[in-house]
Amino acid sequence: MATSGSAAEVRVDTVFSALADPTRRHLVEALAAQPGATATGLASGLPISRQAVAKHLKLLAEAGLVCSHRSGREALFELDTEPLVEAVAWIDHVGAEWDRSLAGLKRLVERRTS
Amino acid sequence: MSTLAHTVTRSVVLDAPPAEVWEAITDEGQLSEWLAPEVELDPQEGGEVVCRFEDGEERRGEVELVEEAERLAFRWWREGAGPSRVEFVVDAVAEGTRLTVIESGLVPNAAPLLAAGWAPRLRALRLQVGRLVLA
Repeated sequence: MATSGSAAEVRVDTVFSALADPTRRHLVEALAAQPGATATGLASGLPISRQAVAKHLKLLAEAGLVCSHRSGREALFELDTEPLVEAVAWIDHVGAEWDRSLAGLKRLVERRTS
Repeated sequence: MSTLAHTVTRSVVLDAPPAEVWEAITDEGQLSEWLAPEVELDPQEGGEVVCRFEDGEERRGEVELVEEAERLAFRWWREGAGPSRVEFVVDAVAEGTRLTVIESGLVPNAAPLLAAGWAPRLRALRLQVGRLVLA
């Protein structure tokens, strides 16, 4: 549980950092609406250059939120929501940890009372 | 406020008087029996808290709020995450005592997402992935 948690926790942090930027959130949204979009296509709806979009896409890819495959000369981008699921799983893990702790507390104080 | 499930709330009803429950959440010796194997806590505002867990993780922090026999809050740092705030609330109930724990600010980098009204969009994504639990 907690032992395997660290790597996932670091990743969770990366995911949220990646999503903290409004341009990147916009890109995630755009990719949700049109899977397989190109950097050029995505840039056309934004006031920034194709290069800037590519840079943001690279960061999203590093966080595991976006993956790409080549089609001819262009890379087609798609959303991968798995890391978000992981982020939520981390929150669930925190809840499970409290469940265990509070069960221990219950044993402790009720043992004394009875 | 809409949240990105970054607050965890748990509650337990204990067959013990509030004073005993308060002691169990503020006394180092007792905390070491249920919260983590090794707990140091100076239960006053600004006091230090240190928890060492079985797996070697150490969380350090600082006490933020002490309302004698009612409320204790501290901030600690989970490994690989930023600071989160833990608050214990002690309530007398007919069966004994209800203890509620609220851990908030989990993954604080999520804050800008929340500010930007990101939650509804994630809710839409949730439909796609089928399993994004949002508060």
